[in-house]
Amino acid sequence: MLIDIRNLYKIYNEGKESEVRALDGVTLQIDQGEFVAIVGQSGSGKSTLMNVLGCLDIPTYGEYHLNGTDVTSLSDKELAHIRNKEIGFIFQGYNLIQELDALENVTLPLIYQGASVWDREDTAMAALAKVGMDDRAHHRPSEMSGGQQQRVAIARAIATHPPIIMADEPTGALDSKTGRHVLEILRGLYRGGTTILLITHDDGIAATARRVVRLSDGKVVADYAQEVDWE
Amino acid sequence: MNLWQAFKMAFKSISMKKTRSFLTMLGIIIGVASVVIMVSVVQGQNKKNLEYFEKMGDNKITVNAYSYYDTNNETSQKLYDYCLSMSDLVTGITPDVELGQTVKIQFGSKTLSVNDWSAMGSMGRIDWDSMMHIKLGSDQYGVCNNYTLSAGREISYLDVEKTNSVCVLGAGAKDALFGYTDPVGETITMNGQPFLVVGWYQPMNLEWRKDLDNIIVIPYTFNRSMNRNNTISSYVVKAKSASATVEAMTKLDAYLAGLFPKDANGVSQNGDYYVQSDNSYAENIKTQSNMQSLVLGAIAGISLLVGGIGIMNIMLVTVTERTREIGIRKAIGAERKSIIAQFLIEAAVICSIGGVIGIGIGCVGTLIAGKLLLQETMMLPNTFITVGAFLFSVVLGVIFGMYPAIKASGLQPVVALRAD
Repeated sequence: MLIDIRNLYKIYNEGKESEVRALDGVTLQIDQGEFVAIVGQSGSGKSTLMNVLGCLDIPTYGEYHLNGTDVTSLSDKELAHIRNKEIGFIFQGYNLIQELDALENVTLPLIYQGASVWDREDTAMAALAKVGMDDRAHHRPSEMSGGQQQRVAIARAIATHPPIIMADEPTGALDSKTGRHVLEILRGLYRGGTTILLITHDDGIAATARRVVRLSDGKVVADYAQEVDWE
Repeated sequence: MNLWQAFKMAFKSISMKKTRSFLTMLGIIIGVASVVIMVSVVQGQNKKNLEYFEKMGDNKITVNAYSYYDTNNETSQKLYDYCLSMSDLVTGITPDVELGQTVKIQFGSKTLSVNDWSAMGSMGRIDWDSMMHIKLGSDQYGVCNNYTLSAGREISYLDVEKTNSVCVLGAGAKDALFGYTDPVGETITMNGQPFLVVGWYQPMNLEWRKDLDNIIVIPYTFNRSMNRNNTISSYVVKAKSASATVEAMTKLDAYLAGLFPKDANGVSQNGDYYVQSDNSYAENIKTQSNMQSLVLGAIAGISLLVGGIGIMNIMLVTVTERTREIGIRKAIGAERKSIIAQFLIEAAVICSIGGVIGIGIGCVGTLIAGKLLLQETMMLPNTFITVGAFLFSVVLGVIFGMYPAIKASGLQPVVALRAD
């Protein structure tokens, strides 16, 4: 079991009148090598779930075991290591550092990983090549289109070869054609054995996943596998 | 991530965010440079004033001590001995009394009249420039009054003690009596009494003070026979330095207060005294300059503060932007210490560069100001002020540069990412 969460709660303003239960007792298991789409309306708690799963946020209550490790008991430093080595993030808004060019952005996680100077440039270039952005290595985010920026963000996510990729509305800001292209890259990663968590509100995109987890009001309301024809 | 990486990241960040880096530096540059220049100019001005007054004042202390019961120059002897006892402060002491009696000086066929007012005619026709003055002095008369021997020797201590009939001539007196011949070893007479000339002084050559050269110095013990044993009340004490002058004045004052104790009405039954120095002016200037330094220090402090607020503003305005950046860095696996290290180095580097440029501009500005305002060829700023201003700016810059890092690196990444 790669991801194992039980009775996970994320509650804002607990005990007050304005209490919001973003996650309301979520239990979910994900195996290695799955392609899971987490879908739901806006406000259903899917982004919160990804943030918690990705160690970007801490749950209010509940258990979270990642690869057998109890994540809730880890220190800030250990969480940083997990974010660096175990998980690659793809955000809707790309979240690239504007002052750095594509290659430098992709190199950043490798620097924090402590990779040697010689290795990391090659690794970063290889990651850029995988998303077809190696010819834009020295362009800054402001000089690229949204789709190109998202591909650089994907390259950054996969640069450290994490076993899990978490993508929060990766196509949300893209037109459908570039969106399809981004999804194609994710499928390629899936075929390579990477576990993919795809968060989306778009049922059309969810339809391309092998497993769909539907959230509503912070609860899992449906969890089913589906046959997908990817040609 | 190692330190070298943190350095590289910091430099990258500085070079990428040029406007922000420049504005931050500008605050520091202005702060440091203005402090350095202002304080230096004031200090230079003060130093010049002091030098001027030290030259003028010559560390001379004028002592007036009038004893009602002096019968045989006791006060002179006591002051002489007291000054010897503080030889670490004082170079010499001499009575400085001009003979008031009429004296006829003769050498060969030449005759000079001193204080013979009827022979000199009415006031309007008195030739002050060629008038001679007979001075009663000690063996340190020359030293105390800045005379330099041209030939021969000074009056000796023994001459004073034994009331030997010797004299030292000023350049004017030597010219009047001997012309271009060497007076040393010759004997002149004063009111018929022979005096052996033992030396003569180089001319002072002060256009408006010819009287300084027209002197004949004899041992002050002649006060008894030649000056009707008038009480000697004027003394000149020569101190070793400006600060020694102040100290010696204080001591002399205390000593004389002991010699002439005051009664309940504040009146002394034994005599009266006062101690004064040209250096008092220097002291005034010093006090004044300290005040100026304080005022300027305050102005400098304000400009540093303004510069500091500038730094603070720039740093705080960018907190949101920086918080997002920190969120991204955390999301891709940066540890807290890596982020803090990067920001610390970034702030330290920006502030140091700004500080160094500020010092550079401050030095150049000080040189130019020194040249234009004080006619100094090489005026450089005070090290203490420079280092102080530098450290202040850098510390301030680093604190405010670190602020977003310390604040944001402790947040959950998702919170930092949401910052706006």
